[in-house]
Amino acid sequence: MNVRRMQGSERAGTALAASRGWRVNLNTRRIENKILLAITLIGAAIWIFPLYWAFVTSIRDEDHVVSENAGILPDMFNLTAYVESIFNTSILKWYVNSIGTSLIITILVLISGMMCAYALSQMRFPGRRILYAVVMASFMIPTQALVVTQFVLMNDMGLVNTWAGIILPQLIVPVVIIVYKQFFDAVPKEMREAVLLDGGGEYTLLFKVYLPLNWGITTALAIITFIMAWNQFFWPFLVITSEDMMTIPVGITQVRDTFGVSYARVMAVALLGAAPVAIAYLIFQKKVTEAVMISSGVKG
Amino acid sequence: MTGVRLHSVDKSFGGDQIIDDVSMNISKGEFAVFVGPSGCGKSTLLRMIAGLEETSGGAIDIEGRDITQVEPAKREVSMVFQSYALYPHLSVFENMAFSLRLARTPKQRVVEQVRAAADILKLEGHLDKKPSALSGGQRQRVAIGRAIVRQPKVFLFDEPLSNLDAELRVQMRLELSRLHQKIGATMIYVTHDQVEAMTLADKIFVLNEGVVQQAGPPLELYDDPDNQFVAGFIGSPAMNFLSAVVTRNTVKGIVAEIEGTNGQSLEADITHSVIEEGQSVTLGIRPEHLYMRDGGFTSTVELTENLGGVAYLYTRLAGGQEVVIERRGERVLHARESVQVWADSKDVLVFSERGERLR
Repeated sequence: MNVRRMQGSERAGTALAASRGWRVNLNTRRIENKILLAITLIGAAIWIFPLYWAFVTSIRDEDHVVSENAGILPDMFNLTAYVESIFNTSILKWYVNSIGTSLIITILVLISGMMCAYALSQMRFPGRRILYAVVMASFMIPTQALVVTQFVLMNDMGLVNTWAGIILPQLIVPVVIIVYKQFFDAVPKEMREAVLLDGGGEYTLLFKVYLPLNWGITTALAIITFIMAWNQFFWPFLVITSEDMMTIPVGITQVRDTFGVSYARVMAVALLGAAPVAIAYLIFQKKVTEAVMISSGVKG
Repeated sequence: MTGVRLHSVDKSFGGDQIIDDVSMNISKGEFAVFVGPSGCGKSTLLRMIAGLEETSGGAIDIEGRDITQVEPAKREVSMVFQSYALYPHLSVFENMAFSLRLARTPKQRVVEQVRAAADILKLEGHLDKKPSALSGGQRQRVAIGRAIVRQPKVFLFDEPLSNLDAELRVQMRLELSRLHQKIGATMIYVTHDQVEAMTLADKIFVLNEGVVQQAGPPLELYDDPDNQFVAGFIGSPAMNFLSAVVTRNTVKGIVAEIEGTNGQSLEADITHSVIEEGQSVTLGIRPEHLYMRDGGFTSTVELTENLGGVAYLYTRLAGGQEVVIERRGERVLHARESVQVWADSKDVLVFSERGERLR
């Protein structure tokens, strides 16, 4: 009986030690989580600071922006910079230009990318593999490396300062082709054969089966392409000199007066320019994250 | 009238001959089944009839029209796939109406034809649902419905029941038989399951290595196989094959000594072939034709499978050859028990060393 009790108490002791160990582990885990949370918050603060600073600057008087007394906290709420931006700059025109060019780029990139991907994925023709290798290779060349050649080409074609000049070079988005191809490759072969037996051709296959089956990825790619086109600065900045044709990112460079750059106004225009994309991001957050993950190869 | 006719059809991929000089006749309204092991070419042959695979040689006719070079949609065939291949973004109605809409059929007729097919397949209550909301059996019915609305001359089924569970397979098998009786169209069905082949077919084509081994009604293939492959493939459990040496010719046939049995022999009826004494042969006996009898050859029970109404004894001869015996109404037999087994001479089939049937 005693022996049994001893065994019982030993068992209880072991269980207690085990539960203590478990608690120790849990506490360590909690501390680790808190440290990670702190690091994440510091990272987020660093990332958000420029945006915060832009906002604080935009609601100050121009004189106060550059004064020594300007602190880190907002000390006034003055919307003059916004009012002046809207009424004294061409921002509304730039909005229209940005919306127009971004929409056209998005539509054309998706249509051409989808058709190219369909051909590479589903049709058999000589040179198919080489063509896909070329698409993959173009994905690896940075836009900046092509900019001089593109500019010369556009100039020779007489497209500088034209809508076509802004849009055409931005239609090269190989990642759209690669992502679409991955998704088209994943559609079961029988689906294609069923359509062929039902009397459909390649257009039926693409527009009535493959595309509707991949609406999710089409929406995601549309959002990400639109955001990329909206944020595009370098190429439109090079190819457009007429203020009437500028997009918002390029327009920011024009926000100056006789006395030079007005920081509050520049920040106000920058925030107004970023606002539609930020709102779109908030609405389609899930889709955008999905698109970024898919196009970066994290998820396929 | 001929439904489908294949003349010396060949198919090769690279250097491999997948289908080798296959000719066949399937009558109009017949339910033909292509059966054979994996990789025998049965699905390739079906896909060649559908136009999904090009033929390397030969010709294919459907009701007298040469369709060898005709594109799939114009062959007047419908195919039901193993994976169903339903369009997941479309409702059941739209899935079934897909081909009719492509053919620009008037709306009223589309509705009539889809409703008629849904009525045959008991799908009336599911027309607005998406395929994802249906069970496996219902999806299969939609796939069949999609084939029916086209009113094809030939229905092609590529292992359509493989993805269903055992119970549903039996149910769908019966439904397919009823459907065939109801619409009376020519149907070609591919399966590796010989039970499906035996129960559904008017005519079975047994394929192996791209060649038709034998074609005929199910029971003809079961009772009178042309070669050892067909004899072994048709029937479950498979036919027993025993290596033997002919010791004597008799008026009715031969007496052959079974290898590894110390001189124990079986008689087999042979009427046409000439077999010399001393020639090695293979004796084929179905498990249900073996029975216990004193003076029979001795085999030792290794394992028993008792299914209730029937039991299978897995036994082994002294020489190592396995013999499966079917017993009805007798349930208890223990491992390592010796049994004396016999078969009547009319039930013993004889095959040459090359596997050809000697009749």
